[in-house]
Amino acid sequence: MDSQIGAELAICRRLVGARLRGQMQYRGSFIAQIAGNFGVNFVELIAILILFSHFGAIGGWDVGEVAFLYGLSCTSFGIAHLLGSGFSSFSTLIHQGTFDRVLVRPVGTLLQVLAAEMQIRRLGEALQGVLVLGAAIGFVGIEWTVGRLVYLPIVLASAVLLYVALFAIEATVCFWTTQATEVLNAFTYGGSDMAQYPLHIYDGWLRGLLLFVVPIGFVIYLPSLYLLDKPDPLGLPGFVPFLAPVAALAFAMAAAALWRLGVRHYRSTGS
Amino acid sequence: MRLYFEVARRSFQRHLTYRVATLAGLFTNAVFGIFFSSVYRAFYQDGERGVVADFTLPEILTFVWIGQSLLMLVYLWNWWEVADSIRTGDVVSDLMKPMDFQLYWLSRDLGRASCHWLTRFVPTFAMGALLFDLAWPGTISTWLAFFISVNLAILVSFGWRFLLNLSAFWLLDVRGINTIAVLVLNFFSGLLVPIAFFPGWLRTVAEWLPFRAIVMVPVEVFLGQRTPQSALLIQAFWVVALRLLGQVVLNAAVRKLVVQGG
Repeated sequence: MDSQIGAELAICRRLVGARLRGQMQYRGSFIAQIAGNFGVNFVELIAILILFSHFGAIGGWDVGEVAFLYGLSCTSFGIAHLLGSGFSSFSTLIHQGTFDRVLVRPVGTLLQVLAAEMQIRRLGEALQGVLVLGAAIGFVGIEWTVGRLVYLPIVLASAVLLYVALFAIEATVCFWTTQATEVLNAFTYGGSDMAQYPLHIYDGWLRGLLLFVVPIGFVIYLPSLYLLDKPDPLGLPGFVPFLAPVAALAFAMAAAALWRLGVRHYRSTGS
Repeated sequence: MRLYFEVARRSFQRHLTYRVATLAGLFTNAVFGIFFSSVYRAFYQDGERGVVADFTLPEILTFVWIGQSLLMLVYLWNWWEVADSIRTGDVVSDLMKPMDFQLYWLSRDLGRASCHWLTRFVPTFAMGALLFDLAWPGTISTWLAFFISVNLAILVSFGWRFLLNLSAFWLLDVRGINTIAVLVLNFFSGLLVPIAFFPGWLRTVAEWLPFRAIVMVPVEVFLGQRTPQSALLIQAFWVVALRLLGQVVLNAAVRKLVVQGG
């Protein structure tokens, strides 16, 4: 069993290596893409700073605290985007019928799809998120306790897991239809954008959606209440900031179950 | 003229067939519209401010929803049909046909835009009006000016996208330039934050670029912040300038074009 997992990982390493070399063939374009991905988020950050220069605060949170949310969301979304690139380009696999190839290989389907694509340009997003997160931590002056020090990496890992699972769901839907990918963009990009602001500014139904359907609130906003020592205007029980890993794991397991259902449902486009 | 009309008509009909994609797109527009509206509403509440940089809350919400409605109409992102035809070599047969190459693509784009007026702009704006308190123009003439201004915005946007696509004559891979173009457009068109909110020097930069003619200028016309004459002047200038620039670049490209195969 162990040796089989080892073999699968070795194959994945090779597949990923090939993808990386392929991407660097058009060098100028490659560099522009990394810079551009960095820049797209940078421009969004400038927009947020411009708004704060006029308003000062949103929902009782100042610019440093919102930057913390932003950094947390961007870092984890960028890493998830990098790891889950195979999912974001999955619709072409279905379109062209190449998923058949995945099915006949003796390696798990999830692992193959993950390894089939690794867009390094997404590093630009993650890098920018890390920089903002670092600056925000310096700016808000978090009171570091052992608990907070230990919990921050757990929160980041949970958020990455949740976003990867979200990309996986986006890909899974392609087993049924490839025309609705834009709806799922609203959840991935929309969700990570909404996580950049404190959850309590949204209307009740949207808050509920972000907590109990796509639990982004559990991995970004609620843990931040604890990390930044902010009061909870929603009046949720005191332990909810610590549910980030639980929520992410539950969501990822649901996504995996959905994936298996999708693979069973798959009918090839080829003849 | 007949030819270009026919090209536009077919493009209109082709875009009309993407029903599921249209519904999916409208859903996304609604989600982002609600998101941005919630953020602005919270900002205005926190500051207990009535007017910020000449925008009241209903006016800023109007800006948000016009922006979401315009997105597909001006086709801001990811239009690479000309570039694709350059990469595949199909461009050669188009260049040999007895027609104006740029006008041909403009006709296709206008056909697409007429479809998106109906399937994307109107429904998205209607959703915004149903969900939020927006600021409405007082006179019919403002509506008319807005309609003209949006159509000019489509022309400016086409001129810019056509130029970008021509870069494929020189570049093998346009993904890099695409990413950069998207971020410049998002910011300097005023889509993310109204240009009136920018700090002084950044506003000056924005005013010298063509991108505000694609989003910000129509919004200003709708809200009565800019006279129709001044909007028309800015937008018409960029339509003509980009069209001429497109022609110059196209001529240079055709001169160096070498095609394999027969």
